[in-house]
Amino acid sequence: MSGTRPGKSLTKYKIVFLGEQGVGKTSLITRFMYDTFDDHYQATIGIDFLSKTMYLDDKTIRLQLWDTAGQERFRSLIPSYIRDSRVAIVVYDITKKKSFEFIDKWIEDVKNERGEENVILCIVGNKSDLADERQVSTEEGEAKAKLLGAKIFMETSTKAGHNVKNLFKKIAKSLPEFQEGQHAGALEGDNSNEVGKKEANGSGVIDITTTEDQAQGGGCQC
Amino acid sequence: MGIEQLRLSVKLGGASGDGGGERISGQRVGQPRKSPSAPSFHDKMYASRNTSEPVLPNHVPALNSSNSADNASLNDADASLSVINLYGDEVESRRADDGALQSPEEVLSDDPGLSSTPFGQRSSNSATDGPDLDRYGFKKQNNFITEKEYNRWWRDYSQYCVRRKHKWKLLLEKSGFPIDNDSPYRFPPRSEKLKRYVRKGIPAEWRGNAWWHFARGQEKLNKNKGVYDTLLSKMDELIRKKKVVADLDIIERDLNRTFPDNMHFQREAFQTEEPPMIKSLRRVLVAFSLYNPKIGYCQSMNFLAGLLLLFMDEERTFWMLVIITSKYLPGVHNVNLEGVNVDQGVLMLCVKEYLPEFWRFIVPFQNQTGSDSSPNSSPSLGKNEFLYKLPPITLCTASWFMSCFVGVLPVESTLRVWDCLFYEESNFLFKACLAILKLSEQELIKARSLKLLRHHSISDGGDYNKREIQLNQDETEMEIFQVIQTFPKRMLNPNDMFDKVIFKKRIPLNRLDQDEVDRCRKYVAAQRLKYKNYHELIGTSNRTNESGLNGSIINSGDRDDTKHSGLGSEENADAAAFDFNDDRTASDFVNNALSSEVYGFKRGLSGVHWNNSIKEKVRQMRKRKVSSNDQLMKN
Repeated sequence: MSGTRPGKSLTKYKIVFLGEQGVGKTSLITRFMYDTFDDHYQATIGIDFLSKTMYLDDKTIRLQLWDTAGQERFRSLIPSYIRDSRVAIVVYDITKKKSFEFIDKWIEDVKNERGEENVILCIVGNKSDLADERQVSTEEGEAKAKLLGAKIFMETSTKAGHNVKNLFKKIAKSLPEFQEGQHAGALEGDNSNEVGKKEANGSGVIDITTTEDQAQGGGCQC
Repeated sequence: MGIEQLRLSVKLGGASGDGGGERISGQRVGQPRKSPSAPSFHDKMYASRNTSEPVLPNHVPALNSSNSADNASLNDADASLSVINLYGDEVESRRADDGALQSPEEVLSDDPGLSSTPFGQRSSNSATDGPDLDRYGFKKQNNFITEKEYNRWWRDYSQYCVRRKHKWKLLLEKSGFPIDNDSPYRFPPRSEKLKRYVRKGIPAEWRGNAWWHFARGQEKLNKNKGVYDTLLSKMDELIRKKKVVADLDIIERDLNRTFPDNMHFQREAFQTEEPPMIKSLRRVLVAFSLYNPKIGYCQSMNFLAGLLLLFMDEERTFWMLVIITSKYLPGVHNVNLEGVNVDQGVLMLCVKEYLPEFWRFIVPFQNQTGSDSSPNSSPSLGKNEFLYKLPPITLCTASWFMSCFVGVLPVESTLRVWDCLFYEESNFLFKACLAILKLSEQELIKARSLKLLRHHSISDGGDYNKREIQLNQDETEMEIFQVIQTFPKRMLNPNDMFDKVIFKKRIPLNRLDQDEVDRCRKYVAAQRLKYKNYHELIGTSNRTNESGLNGSIINSGDRDDTKHSGLGSEENADAAAFDFNDDRTASDFVNNALSSEVYGFKRGLSGVHWNNSIKEKVRQMRKRKVSSNDQLMKN
């Protein structure tokens, strides 16, 4: 333990999860962390914190995930957690139009706290397995993501395990680039899930659970 | 007796349920119960209602009738089981008889599968006898505690519960109060002895009645007879007219997210009808949101109501919720959540006062940056600034208050806190927080020293640049957050908190009393309000100011421990506030003005402490003497 700073390669990134109550923020995190799913998670009160190490190229990064309570009145408590987040993931439920409309407010909060430039905005439409109950189309989602300046848009199903790993890969992948002088251009425009997926798999992302991720390639069991 | 009357009756009115009631009750009658053991604790509660007179006419009984039918078939068999379920020793013997469940070896065997799959075993066992459930129907195992750990702990704790219940029985008999049906509803007058008994745990089967008694639920209900009914009919009307009420939708979404790990709240795949518990929960929460629109529904109230429902009927649950949200946690669930912020401020003041070592963790870089000129590198360390810019840790502790530790501590520990909360009032919540923080200190030190090893070995001279300090600051915050968030979830044994902290009179935090908490709440609320008003006045709400302000406070003035009369500084500030063009200076000024009023804790006579320790020493010496004398005598 001498010479170079050992902690240096372990860069930490703060990711905050926002979105209306019951859209699946906790579920998204749980799927990512433990690759499990339950029909119901206890409602999150206040804020929960989890961290996970990811491998990206030859670097190890540590993701600090902040799970927040979704009810409107909790919004007043959360800003300080947005303040120094590198990534903000705003989640909505594709079967609930209202939760989709609500993302504007969250995005606004993020922009107010962070400024558009300093944060990677992600919009995630969750519960894509519930195709029958869909109220928000993928196109609407994409359009809104573009409109609000979100760099990443994805539809996920935490239940089916669809696209969750990809989402985090995509995020992780965009991080160091993002840090080294804003090559934001590379990140934009690949809103299609398919493109994202290929890219993620092709890149040097070595997640611990990569194998099972490939299985997800064919994945959406809906 | 009033209470007797108030027990919800079941039989009457069951048939006459109106539209709302019918719809809600459905056809649950005779539905198979998953576990004969787990629900017996609860069924007993329901059973006790059967004997009493009706109070609520339509809606509730409609539910209860289905329940009673359920019970009717179960209770005979269950009457004996309930005891088995409540006390592990008997569970063990029964298991041995059955031979089919778990053998002791299995319990002790090192099965990695047990701990490695915290999720996804929802229905694996619940269809059987449910040895994986605790006496309230919660899964023993969760992310933080394995079933093995639970069983090992429960083996001793259940014995403890048996002993405590025996003592309670003696106490009640001695005081001349009946214990009919194992459901006493009168308790001795308040005393140090009773307080101690409560702190050591109220018998689980008595909790509903005891809480109701200590929280003066009956008084509240007597003043509001029929109110709950009226609210329920209002609710039915709303639903019938399909009015869109925001709270209703929000409540609906939380119903199934309340105790998904409890069998009474979960719906199995084969069930088409939702569990009665969920229906009760819906009614209580909706009724409350109609009763108190200022609060409406706030997430976390589902947990409060949910836990109460395991111990008492709906109407009582409703009134207990009213009492909790007004008396014990005023403003905490309000739309602006100001009450919770005030309580966090109070908690921070208490930490600073009673756990100074821990306070270092919360504002860890005070010494390093306090006097130098790196203002942006550390969090606000002004005398009082943490009251309005609450340290990050408070968003973790906020949930401790909002849900009164439900989901924070394991359930048996939560219940012990609730016992004391209803007997001792809200100061106990603060005590419990402080006790948890105190106990977690070791963990923090562990985490801290690991990190220090990693980081400080390199930059020995302490020549941090700002960025590094900032980084470390963040990291420290995360670490603290993680430890504080996780630590209580592992506090399986409630006696840890009590024996190691609460019962140790000489630990300073035990000086905290209700009077102090009330005073402190007032002070923090006033400070926060003033701060808000000043800021609105000056119009400094943008962030650049705040960050500038963070550092400047560090240098402002010397610590002033005496409590100023706030008046003088207030006037000054008022006069001066308008003169400032520079926002930052104005903010400084506001903070100076505010932080010159420092909260003064009651310290008592400094000598008292001393005397106590001497007393203790003398007592020990005497004991030693006596015992040595005894030995001499024997010899």
